[in-house]
Amino acid sequence: MIEADNITKRYGDFLAVDQVSFRAGAGEVIGFLGPNGAGKTTTMRILTGFLPATDGRARIAGHDIFEEPLAARRAVGYLPETPPLYPEMDVTGYLEFVAKIKDVPRARRRSAVESALERCGLADVHRRVIGSLSKGFRQRVGIAQAILHDPPVLILDEPTVGLDPIQIREIRGLIADLADPEKTEARTIVLSTHILAEVEAICRRVLMIHEGKMVLDSAIGELTAEGQSLEDVFARMTLREGEAA
Amino acid sequence: MKHLGAIAGRELRSLFVSPVAYAVLTLFAVLAGFFFLLSVQGFRETMAYYQQIGQFDVLRQLNLNNQVIGPFIQVMWIVFLFLIPGITMGLFANEKTNGTQELLMTSPLTMWELVLGKFLAAAAFVTILIAMMALFPALLFLDAGTPVLGLIFSGFDLADPNPEGLQMWAGLLGLWLLGLTYAAVGTFSSSLTRNQLVAFFLALALLLILWLLSVVADLGVAEGAAGTASRLSGVLTWLSTSDHFDKLARGLVDTRDLAYFVFMIGTFLVLTKTSVESVRWR
Repeated sequence: MIEADNITKRYGDFLAVDQVSFRAGAGEVIGFLGPNGAGKTTTMRILTGFLPATDGRARIAGHDIFEEPLAARRAVGYLPETPPLYPEMDVTGYLEFVAKIKDVPRARRRSAVESALERCGLADVHRRVIGSLSKGFRQRVGIAQAILHDPPVLILDEPTVGLDPIQIREIRGLIADLADPEKTEARTIVLSTHILAEVEAICRRVLMIHEGKMVLDSAIGELTAEGQSLEDVFARMTLREGEAA
Repeated sequence: MKHLGAIAGRELRSLFVSPVAYAVLTLFAVLAGFFFLLSVQGFRETMAYYQQIGQFDVLRQLNLNNQVIGPFIQVMWIVFLFLIPGITMGLFANEKTNGTQELLMTSPLTMWELVLGKFLAAAAFVTILIAMMALFPALLFLDAGTPVLGLIFSGFDLADPNPEGLQMWAGLLGLWLLGLTYAAVGTFSSSLTRNQLVAFFLALALLLILWLLSVVADLGVAEGAAGTASRLSGVLTWLSTSDHFDKLARGLVDTRDLAYFVFMIGTFLVLTKTSVESVRWR
Protein backbone atom coordinates (compact mmCIF):
# COMPACT_ATOMS: atom_id res chain seq x y z
CA MET A 1 0.00 0.00 0.00
CA ILE A 2 2.82 2.39 0.91
CA GLU A 3 6.18 1.98 -0.77
CA ALA A 4 8.74 4.59 0.23
CA ASP A 5 12.19 4.42 -1.30
CA ASN A 6 15.02 6.61 -0.05
CA ILE A 7 12.84 9.61 0.67
CA THR A 8 15.06 12.60 1.35
CA LYS A 9 14.08 16.15 2.23
CA ARG A 10 16.61 18.93 2.41
CA TYR A 11 15.92 22.48 3.58
CA GLY A 12 19.01 24.37 2.46
CA ASP A 13 21.84 22.68 4.36
CA PHE A 14 19.53 21.01 6.83
CA LEU A 15 18.71 17.40 6.13
CA ALA A 16 15.22 16.90 7.57
CA VAL A 17 14.64 13.41 6.21
CA ASP A 18 17.55 11.23 5.14
CA GLN A 19 16.87 8.28 2.83
CA VAL A 20 13.87 6.86 4.61
CA SER A 21 12.56 3.64 3.08
CA PHE A 22 9.81 1.33 4.21
CA ARG A 23 6.99 -0.81 2.91
CA ALA A 24 3.58 -1.10 4.48
CA GLY A 25 1.01 -3.65 3.38
CA ALA A 26 -2.75 -3.72 3.60
CA GLY A 27 -4.07 -4.27 7.11
CA GLU A 28 -0.96 -3.00 8.86
CA VAL A 29 -1.11 -0.49 11.69
CA ILE A 30 2.22 1.18 12.05
CA GLY A 31 3.43 3.42 14.85
CA PHE A 32 5.78 6.12 13.68
CA LEU A 33 8.00 7.17 16.57
CA GLY A 34 10.74 9.67 17.09
CA PRO A 35 11.68 12.67 19.19
CA ASN A 36 10.45 16.14 18.26
CA GLY A 37 12.08 17.42 15.10
CA ALA A 38 13.13 13.95 13.99
CA GLY A 39 11.35 14.32 10.65
CA LYS A 40 8.08 12.51 11.33
CA THR A 41 5.81 15.29 10.16
CA THR A 42 7.98 16.01 7.13
CA THR A 43 7.90 12.34 6.10
CA MET A 44 4.13 12.27 6.47
CA ARG A 45 3.74 15.47 4.50
CA ILE A 46 5.78 13.98 1.69
CA LEU A 47 3.71 10.78 1.62
CA THR A 48 0.47 12.77 1.49
CA GLY A 49 1.75 14.95 -1.34
CA PHE A 50 1.78 18.18 0.67
CA LEU A 51 5.54 18.56 0.23
CA PRO A 52 7.72 17.21 -2.56
CA ALA A 53 10.73 15.13 -1.60
CA THR A 54 14.16 16.41 -2.58
CA ASP A 55 15.05 12.88 -3.60
CA GLY A 56 13.59 9.40 -3.55
CA ARG A 57 10.30 7.91 -4.68
CA ALA A 58 7.09 6.88 -3.01
CA ARG A 59 4.00 5.04 -4.17
CA ILE A 60 0.61 5.04 -2.46
CA ALA A 61 -1.72 2.20 -3.47
CA GLY A 62 0.42 1.75 -6.57
CA HIS A 63 0.37 5.42 -7.62
CA ASP A 64 3.61 7.34 -7.71
CA ILE A 65 3.10 10.50 -5.64
CA PHE A 66 5.11 12.65 -8.05
CA GLU A 67 3.90 11.22 -11.34
CA GLU A 68 0.23 10.60 -10.51
CA PRO A 69 -0.30 13.02 -7.63
CA LEU A 70 -4.08 13.22 -7.93
CA ALA A 71 -4.58 9.44 -7.94
CA ALA A 72 -2.16 9.03 -5.03
CA ARG A 73 -3.90 11.77 -3.01
CA ARG A 74 -7.28 10.16 -3.65
CA ALA A 75 -5.96 7.03 -1.91
CA VAL A 76 -4.83 8.82 1.27
CA GLY A 77 -6.74 10.08 4.25
CA TYR A 78 -4.62 12.51 6.23
CA LEU A 79 -5.01 14.05 9.65
CA PRO A 80 -2.35 16.76 10.02
CA GLU A 81 -0.97 17.75 13.41
CA THR A 82 -3.61 20.49 13.68
CA PRO A 83 -6.95 19.23 12.37
CA PRO A 84 -7.66 21.21 9.17
CA LEU A 85 -11.02 22.71 10.12
CA TYR A 86 -13.00 25.78 9.15
CA PRO A 87 -14.25 27.11 12.52
CA GLU A 88 -17.22 28.96 10.98
CA MET A 89 -18.70 25.88 9.28
CA ASP A 90 -20.99 23.31 10.86
CA VAL A 91 -19.79 19.72 11.05
CA THR A 92 -22.05 18.36 8.31
CA GLY A 93 -21.37 21.29 5.98
CA TYR A 94 -17.65 20.81 6.45
CA LEU A 95 -17.76 17.09 5.76
CA GLU A 96 -19.93 17.65 2.68
CA PHE A 97 -17.30 20.07 1.38
CA VAL A 98 -14.53 17.55 2.05
CA ALA A 99 -16.56 14.86 0.24
CA LYS A 100 -16.71 17.09 -2.83
CA ILE A 101 -13.02 17.88 -2.98
CA LYS A 102 -12.05 14.26 -2.22
CA ASP A 103 -14.00 13.08 -5.28
CA VAL A 104 -16.66 11.09 -3.45
CA PRO A 105 -19.28 10.48 -6.19
CA ARG A 106 -22.38 12.65 -5.77
CA ALA A 107 -24.66 9.67 -5.17
CA ARG A 108 -22.52 8.43 -2.30
CA ARG A 109 -21.79 11.73 -0.58
CA ARG A 110 -24.68 11.69 1.83
CA SER A 111 -24.03 8.15 2.99
CA ALA A 112 -20.28 8.83 3.24
CA VAL A 113 -20.89 11.83 5.48
CA GLU A 114 -23.42 9.94 7.59
CA SER A 115 -21.18 6.93 8.09
CA ALA A 116 -18.20 9.15 9.01
CA LEU A 117 -20.37 11.01 11.55
CA GLU A 118 -21.51 7.69 12.94
CA ARG A 119 -18.08 6.09 13.16
CA CYS A 120 -16.48 9.10 14.83
CA GLY A 121 -19.31 9.57 17.33
CA LEU A 122 -20.32 12.92 15.90
CA ALA A 123 -23.99 12.23 15.23
CA ASP A 124 -25.11 14.38 18.18
CA VAL A 125 -23.09 17.43 17.17
CA HIS A 126 -23.48 17.27 13.39
CA ARG A 127 -25.29 20.64 13.23
CA ARG A 128 -22.91 22.41 15.61
CA VAL A 129 -20.47 25.03 14.39
CA ILE A 130 -16.95 23.58 14.50
CA GLY A 131 -15.52 26.61 16.34
CA SER A 132 -17.81 25.89 19.29
CA LEU A 133 -16.73 22.25 19.68
CA SER A 134 -14.37 20.96 22.36
CA LYS A 135 -10.87 19.88 21.39
CA GLY A 136 -11.81 16.22 21.55
CA PHE A 137 -14.71 16.69 19.18
CA ARG A 138 -12.59 18.76 16.83
CA GLN A 139 -10.04 15.97 16.72
CA ARG A 140 -12.85 13.57 15.83
CA VAL A 141 -14.02 15.86 13.05
CA GLY A 142 -10.41 15.79 11.83
CA ILE A 143 -10.47 12.00 11.79
CA ALA A 144 -13.91 11.96 10.13
CA GLN A 145 -12.45 14.15 7.41
CA ALA A 146 -9.59 11.69 6.89
CA ILE A 147 -11.76 8.55 6.61
CA LEU A 148 -14.62 10.17 4.70
CA HIS A 149 -13.68 8.95 1.23
CA ASP A 150 -12.83 5.50 2.59
CA PRO A 151 -9.15 5.63 1.57
CA PRO A 152 -6.99 2.51 1.66
CA VAL A 153 -4.21 4.44 3.42
CA LEU A 154 -4.64 6.56 6.54
CA ILE A 155 -1.90 8.84 7.79
CA LEU A 156 -2.52 10.34 11.22
CA ASP A 157 -0.08 12.87 12.67
CA GLU A 158 -0.34 12.74 16.47
CA PRO A 159 -4.05 11.94 16.57
CA THR A 160 -4.27 12.06 20.38
CA VAL A 161 -2.11 15.07 21.18
CA GLY A 162 -3.66 17.52 23.63
CA LEU A 163 -6.59 15.32 24.59
CA ASP A 164 -7.62 14.23 28.05
CA PRO A 165 -7.26 10.56 29.08
CA ILE A 166 -10.87 9.67 28.30
CA GLN A 167 -10.74 11.32 24.89
CA ILE A 168 -7.44 9.55 24.20
CA ARG A 169 -9.07 6.22 24.98
CA GLU A 170 -11.95 7.03 22.65
CA ILE A 171 -9.71 8.04 19.77
CA ARG A 172 -7.58 4.93 20.27
CA GLY A 173 -10.71 2.83 20.20
CA LEU A 174 -11.72 4.53 16.99
CA ILE A 175 -8.34 3.86 15.38
CA ALA A 176 -8.40 0.24 16.49
CA ASP A 177 -11.87 0.05 15.01
CA LEU A 178 -10.68 1.50 11.70
CA ALA A 179 -7.95 -1.11 11.56
CA ASP A 180 -10.17 -4.03 12.50
CA PRO A 181 -10.18 -6.37 9.50
CA GLU A 182 -13.51 -7.83 10.54
CA LYS A 183 -15.25 -4.48 10.32
CA THR A 184 -13.70 -2.92 7.24
CA GLU A 185 -11.60 -3.69 4.23
CA ALA A 186 -7.94 -3.98 4.99
CA ARG A 187 -6.49 -0.52 5.53
CA THR A 188 -2.99 0.69 6.08
CA ILE A 189 -2.70 3.07 9.00
CA VAL A 190 0.40 5.04 9.89
CA LEU A 191 0.21 7.13 13.02
CA SER A 192 2.86 9.24 14.64
CA THR A 193 2.95 9.78 18.37
CA HIS A 194 5.14 10.46 21.37
CA ILE A 195 3.16 8.15 23.56
CA LEU A 196 4.85 4.77 23.60
CA ALA A 197 1.95 3.10 25.35
CA GLU A 198 -0.23 4.15 22.47
CA VAL A 199 1.96 2.28 20.03
CA GLU A 200 1.94 -0.79 22.22
CA ALA A 201 -1.83 -0.57 22.51
CA ILE A 202 -2.80 -0.31 18.86
CA CYS A 203 0.15 -0.92 16.55
CA ARG A 204 1.64 -4.16 15.43
CA ARG A 205 4.74 -2.65 13.94
CA VAL A 206 6.93 0.28 14.84
CA LEU A 207 9.12 2.58 12.78
CA MET A 208 11.52 4.83 14.59
CA ILE A 209 13.12 7.87 13.06
CA HIS A 210 15.90 9.94 14.58
CA GLU A 211 17.59 12.99 13.06
CA GLY A 212 15.95 12.19 9.75
CA LYS A 213 17.21 8.62 9.60
CA MET A 214 15.22 5.43 10.02
CA VAL A 215 16.75 3.72 13.04
CA LEU A 216 14.27 0.94 13.67
CA ASP A 217 11.69 -1.03 11.72
CA SER A 218 10.37 -3.94 13.68
CA ALA A 219 7.27 -5.83 14.76
CA ILE A 220 6.26 -4.97 18.32
CA GLY A 221 6.12 -8.68 19.10
CA GLU A 222 9.78 -9.15 18.18
CA LEU A 223 10.91 -6.34 20.45
CA THR A 224 9.02 -7.53 23.46
CA ALA A 225 9.99 -11.14 22.79
CA GLU A 226 13.61 -10.07 23.22
CA GLY A 227 12.60 -8.86 26.65
CA GLN A 228 13.05 -5.14 26.06
CA SER A 229 10.39 -2.54 26.60
CA LEU A 230 9.58 -0.06 23.88
CA GLU A 231 10.76 2.69 26.17
CA ASP A 232 14.23 1.17 26.50
CA VAL A 233 14.50 0.82 22.74
CA PHE A 234 13.34 4.39 22.19
CA ALA A 235 15.85 5.75 24.71
CA ARG A 236 18.70 3.74 23.25
CA MET A 237 17.94 4.67 19.66
CA THR A 238 17.45 8.35 20.20
CA LEU A 239 20.12 9.25 22.73
CA ARG A 240 23.10 10.90 21.16
CA GLU A 241 26.44 9.14 21.48
CA GLY A 242 28.18 10.08 24.70
CA GLU A 243 24.88 10.72 26.40
CA ALA A 244 24.21 7.03 26.84
CA ALA A 245 24.88 5.90 30.35
CA MET B 1 -12.37 22.04 -13.14
CA LYS B 2 -15.09 20.01 -11.42
CA HIS B 3 -14.07 21.23 -7.96
CA LEU B 4 -14.38 24.90 -8.88
CA GLY B 5 -17.94 25.16 -7.56
CA ALA B 6 -17.08 23.42 -4.29
CA ILE B 7 -14.18 25.80 -3.55
CA ALA B 8 -16.05 28.95 -4.57
CA GLY B 9 -19.26 27.87 -2.81
CA ARG B 10 -17.49 27.17 0.46
CA GLU B 11 -15.71 30.49 0.31
CA LEU B 12 -18.92 32.43 -0.30
CA ARG B 13 -20.76 30.61 2.45
CA SER B 14 -17.97 31.34 4.92
CA LEU B 15 -17.99 34.98 3.83
CA PHE B 16 -21.71 35.25 4.52
CA VAL B 17 -21.67 33.56 7.92
CA SER B 18 -18.93 35.93 9.07
CA PRO B 19 -19.73 39.56 9.89
CA VAL B 20 -17.16 40.77 7.33
CA ALA B 21 -19.49 40.40 4.34
CA TYR B 22 -22.32 42.25 6.04
CA ALA B 23 -20.04 45.00 7.30
CA VAL B 24 -18.70 45.47 3.78
CA LEU B 25 -22.18 45.42 2.23
CA THR B 26 -23.53 47.95 4.70
CA LEU B 27 -20.57 50.26 4.34
CA PHE B 28 -20.81 49.93 0.59
CA ALA B 29 -24.52 50.79 0.50
CA VAL B 30 -23.98 53.83 2.69
CA LEU B 31 -20.97 55.09 0.70
CA ALA B 32 -22.65 54.45 -2.67
CA GLY B 33 -25.74 56.36 -1.52
CA PHE B 34 -23.62 59.20 -0.21
CA PHE B 35 -21.59 59.55 -3.40
CA PHE B 36 -24.72 59.33 -5.51
CA LEU B 37 -26.36 62.17 -3.61
CA LEU B 38 -23.14 64.12 -3.92
CA SER B 39 -23.20 63.66 -7.69
CA VAL B 40 -26.80 64.78 -7.90
CA GLN B 41 -26.04 67.78 -5.72
CA GLY B 42 -23.09 68.69 -7.93
CA PHE B 43 -25.34 68.47 -10.97
CA ARG B 44 -27.89 70.85 -9.47
CA GLU B 45 -25.16 73.33 -8.59
CA THR B 46 -23.79 73.22 -12.15
CA MET B 47 -27.25 73.80 -13.57
CA ALA B 48 -27.85 76.66 -11.14
CA TYR B 49 -24.54 78.23 -12.13
CA TYR B 50 -25.27 78.24 -15.86
CA GLN B 51 -28.79 79.48 -15.26
CA GLN B 52 -27.52 82.32 -13.12
CA ILE B 53 -24.98 83.53 -15.67
CA GLY B 54 -27.58 83.12 -18.38
CA GLN B 55 -25.73 80.48 -20.46
CA PHE B 56 -28.94 78.71 -21.43
CA ASP B 57 -27.38 76.93 -24.44
CA VAL B 58 -24.80 75.27 -22.15
CA LEU B 59 -27.47 74.47 -19.61
CA ARG B 60 -29.46 72.68 -22.27
CA GLN B 61 -26.51 70.46 -23.16
CA LEU B 62 -26.01 69.18 -19.63
CA ASN B 63 -27.25 65.64 -19.11
CA LEU B 64 -27.57 63.03 -16.41
CA ASN B 65 -25.05 60.68 -18.01
CA ASN B 66 -22.12 63.07 -17.99
CA GLN B 67 -23.03 65.05 -14.90
CA VAL B 68 -24.35 62.38 -12.53
CA ILE B 69 -23.87 58.76 -13.60
CA GLY B 70 -20.36 59.18 -15.00
CA PRO B 71 -18.93 61.03 -11.96
CA PHE B 72 -20.73 58.62 -9.63
CA ILE B 73 -19.15 55.57 -11.26
CA GLN B 74 -15.77 57.28 -11.44
CA VAL B 75 -15.71 58.09 -7.74
CA MET B 76 -16.72 54.56 -6.72
CA TRP B 77 -13.23 53.24 -7.51
CA ILE B 78 -12.08 54.70 -4.20
CA VAL B 79 -14.70 52.65 -2.37
CA PHE B 80 -13.57 49.54 -4.26
CA LEU B 81 -9.96 50.33 -3.45
CA PHE B 82 -10.66 49.91 0.27
CA LEU B 83 -13.46 47.35 0.31
CA ILE B 84 -12.28 44.70 -2.13
CA PRO B 85 -8.99 44.02 -0.29
CA GLY B 86 -11.19 43.56 2.80
CA ILE B 87 -13.10 40.82 0.99
CA THR B 88 -10.07 39.06 -0.47
CA MET B 89 -7.67 39.36 2.47
CA GLY B 90 -8.76 36.07 4.01
CA LEU B 91 -8.92 33.96 0.85
CA PHE B 92 -5.57 32.23 1.28
CA ALA B 93 -4.32 33.76 4.54
CA ASN B 94 -7.15 32.05 6.44
CA GLU B 95 -6.31 28.65 4.98
CA LYS B 96 -2.83 29.01 6.43
CA THR B 97 -3.98 30.03 9.92
CA ASN B 98 -6.71 27.35 10.00
CA GLY B 99 -4.28 24.68 8.81
CA THR B 100 -6.78 23.86 6.07
CA GLN B 101 -4.11 24.52 3.49
CA GLU B 102 -2.91 20.99 4.29
CA LEU B 103 -6.38 19.61 3.57
CA LEU B 104 -6.63 21.42 0.23
CA MET B 105 -3.13 20.59 -0.92
CA THR B 106 -3.47 16.89 -0.07
CA SER B 107 -6.84 16.61 -1.82
CA PRO B 108 -7.09 15.63 -5.48
CA LEU B 109 -7.46 19.26 -6.58
CA THR B 110 -5.46 21.02 -9.23
CA MET B 111 -3.80 24.31 -8.40
CA TRP B 112 -5.97 26.11 -10.94
CA GLU B 113 -9.17 24.78 -9.38
CA LEU B 114 -8.04 26.19 -6.07
CA VAL B 115 -6.95 29.60 -7.36
CA LEU B 116 -9.87 30.09 -9.76
CA GLY B 117 -12.37 28.85 -7.15
CA LYS B 118 -11.15 31.49 -4.69
CA PHE B 119 -11.15 34.19 -7.36
CA LEU B 120 -14.63 33.19 -8.50
CA ALA B 121 -15.98 33.68 -4.97
CA ALA B 122 -14.46 37.17 -4.82
CA ALA B 123 -15.77 37.90 -8.34
CA ALA B 124 -19.27 36.89 -7.28
CA PHE B 125 -19.06 39.29 -4.36
CA VAL B 126 -17.89 42.11 -6.64
CA THR B 127 -20.86 41.38 -8.90
CA ILE B 128 -23.21 41.72 -5.93
CA LEU B 129 -21.65 45.09 -5.11
CA ILE B 130 -22.10 46.29 -8.70
CA ALA B 131 -25.74 45.17 -8.70
CA MET B 132 -26.32 47.06 -5.43
CA MET B 133 -24.82 50.32 -6.58
CA ALA B 134 -26.54 50.11 -9.98
CA LEU B 135 -29.82 50.64 -8.13
CA PHE B 136 -28.96 54.32 -7.57
CA PRO B 137 -28.50 55.37 -11.21
CA ALA B 138 -31.39 53.04 -12.07
CA LEU B 139 -33.62 55.49 -10.16
CA LEU B 140 -32.88 58.03 -12.90
CA PHE B 141 -34.44 55.77 -15.51
CA LEU B 142 -37.87 56.01 -13.98
CA ASP B 143 -40.24 58.06 -16.15
CA ALA B 144 -39.91 61.80 -15.93
CA GLY B 145 -42.34 63.26 -13.49
CA THR B 146 -41.49 60.78 -10.75
CA PRO B 147 -40.46 62.31 -7.44
CA VAL B 148 -36.75 61.57 -8.01
CA LEU B 149 -36.40 63.29 -11.37
CA GLY B 150 -38.82 65.96 -10.30
CA LEU B 151 -36.59 66.84 -7.37
CA ILE B 152 -33.45 66.95 -9.47
CA PHE B 153 -34.88 69.11 -12.25
CA SER B 154 -37.24 71.30 -10.30
CA GLY B 155 -36.66 74.84 -11.48
CA PHE B 156 -34.54 73.91 -14.50
CA ASP B 157 -35.34 73.44 -18.16
CA LEU B 158 -33.26 70.88 -20.06
CA ALA B 159 -33.53 69.78 -23.69
CA ASP B 160 -33.49 66.09 -22.81
CA PRO B 161 -33.51 65.23 -19.14
CA ASN B 162 -33.60 61.47 -19.76
CA PRO B 163 -30.34 59.52 -19.31
CA GLU B 164 -29.00 57.03 -21.83
CA GLY B 165 -28.88 53.38 -20.82
CA LEU B 166 -25.97 52.13 -22.90
CA GLN B 167 -23.63 54.75 -21.55
CA MET B 168 -24.46 53.70 -18.01
CA TRP B 169 -23.95 50.03 -18.83
CA ALA B 170 -20.51 50.82 -20.26
CA GLY B 171 -19.60 52.58 -17.04
CA LEU B 172 -20.82 49.71 -14.90
CA LEU B 173 -18.90 47.26 -17.10
CA GLY B 174 -15.78 49.35 -16.47
CA LEU B 175 -16.32 49.35 -12.73
CA TRP B 176 -17.02 45.61 -12.75
CA LEU B 177 -13.78 44.90 -14.63
CA LEU B 178 -11.92 47.21 -12.24
CA GLY B 179 -13.46 45.30 -9.32
CA LEU B 180 -12.40 41.95 -10.78
CA THR B 181 -8.87 43.26 -11.29
CA TYR B 182 -8.81 44.41 -7.68
CA ALA B 183 -10.10 41.00 -6.61
CA ALA B 184 -7.28 39.30 -8.54
CA VAL B 185 -4.68 41.58 -6.92
CA GLY B 186 -6.26 40.94 -3.51
CA THR B 187 -6.26 37.18 -4.06
CA PHE B 188 -2.58 37.37 -4.91
CA SER B 189 -1.78 39.45 -1.81
CA SER B 190 -3.63 36.96 0.38
CA SER B 191 -1.56 34.11 -1.04
CA LEU B 192 1.67 35.80 0.06
CA THR B 193 1.04 35.89 3.81
CA ARG B 194 -0.74 34.14 6.65
CA ASN B 195 -1.80 37.45 8.21
CA GLN B 196 -5.04 38.97 6.94
CA LEU B 197 -4.05 42.51 7.90
CA VAL B 198 -0.81 42.22 5.97
CA ALA B 199 -2.76 40.90 2.99
CA PHE B 200 -5.13 43.87 3.21
CA PHE B 201 -2.45 46.55 3.27
CA LEU B 202 -0.35 44.79 0.64
CA ALA B 203 -3.33 44.73 -1.72
CA LEU B 204 -4.04 48.39 -0.96
CA ALA B 205 -0.44 49.33 -1.73
CA LEU B 206 -0.37 47.35 -4.99
CA LEU B 207 -3.67 48.84 -6.14
CA LEU B 208 -2.58 52.38 -5.33
CA ILE B 209 0.67 51.87 -7.23
CA LEU B 210 -1.26 50.52 -10.21
CA TRP B 211 -3.51 53.55 -10.13
CA LEU B 212 -0.76 56.13 -9.68
CA LEU B 213 1.49 54.81 -12.45
CA SER B 214 -0.23 57.12 -14.91
CA VAL B 215 0.38 60.12 -12.62
CA VAL B 216 4.07 59.23 -12.56
CA ALA B 217 3.97 58.92 -16.35
CA ASP B 218 2.43 62.39 -16.67
CA LEU B 219 5.21 63.88 -14.54
CA GLY B 220 7.80 62.43 -16.91
CA VAL B 221 6.12 63.97 -19.95
CA ALA B 222 5.70 67.32 -18.24
CA GLU B 223 9.47 67.58 -17.84
CA GLY B 224 9.66 67.51 -21.61
CA ALA B 225 11.51 64.21 -21.87
CA ALA B 226 11.76 62.74 -25.34
CA GLY B 227 12.53 59.35 -26.91
CA THR B 228 12.88 56.53 -24.40
CA ALA B 229 11.39 58.60 -21.61
CA SER B 230 8.18 59.23 -23.50
CA ARG B 231 8.05 55.59 -24.53
CA LEU B 232 8.47 54.61 -20.87
CA SER B 233 5.72 56.96 -19.85
CA GLY B 234 3.52 55.37 -22.53
CA VAL B 235 4.13 51.95 -20.99
CA LEU B 236 3.43 53.23 -17.49
CA THR B 237 0.21 54.85 -18.63
CA TRP B 238 -0.88 51.63 -20.30
CA LEU B 239 -0.08 49.60 -17.17
CA SER B 240 -2.02 51.98 -14.96
CA THR B 241 -5.65 51.11 -14.32
CA SER B 242 -6.80 54.72 -14.15
CA ASP B 243 -6.92 55.74 -17.82
CA HIS B 244 -8.57 52.49 -18.95
CA PHE B 245 -11.18 52.80 -16.25
CA ASP B 246 -11.86 56.50 -16.85
CA LYS B 247 -12.63 55.87 -20.51
CA LEU B 248 -15.11 53.12 -19.68
CA ALA B 249 -16.66 55.15 -16.88
CA ARG B 250 -17.35 57.93 -19.36
CA GLY B 251 -19.08 55.38 -21.57
CA LEU B 252 -16.35 54.76 -24.15
CA VAL B 253 -16.04 51.03 -24.79
CA ASP B 254 -12.73 50.22 -26.46
CA THR B 255 -11.60 46.63 -26.88
CA ARG B 256 -8.05 47.71 -25.97
CA ASP B 257 -9.26 48.75 -22.53
CA LEU B 258 -11.20 45.51 -22.12
CA ALA B 259 -8.09 43.57 -23.12
CA TYR B 260 -6.09 45.48 -20.51
CA PHE B 261 -8.36 44.29 -17.69
CA VAL B 262 -8.37 40.71 -18.95
CA PHE B 263 -4.56 40.87 -19.11
CA MET B 264 -4.23 42.21 -15.56
CA ILE B 265 -6.65 39.65 -14.09
CA GLY B 266 -4.84 36.82 -15.89
CA THR B 267 -1.42 38.05 -14.78
CA PHE B 268 -2.34 38.27 -11.12
CA LEU B 269 -4.06 34.87 -11.17
CA VAL B 270 -0.93 33.28 -12.66
CA LEU B 271 1.13 35.00 -9.95
CA THR B 272 -1.28 33.67 -7.32
CA LYS B 273 -0.95 30.13 -8.64
CA THR B 274 2.85 30.39 -8.52
CA SER B 275 2.74 31.75 -5.00
CA VAL B 276 0.36 29.07 -3.71
CA GLU B 277 2.43 26.36 -5.35
CA SER B 278 5.59 27.71 -3.78
CA VAL B 279 4.87 26.03 -0.41
CA ARG B 280 5.73 22.86 -2.27
CA TRP B 281 9.22 23.90 -3.29
CA ARG B 282 10.18 26.40 -0.57
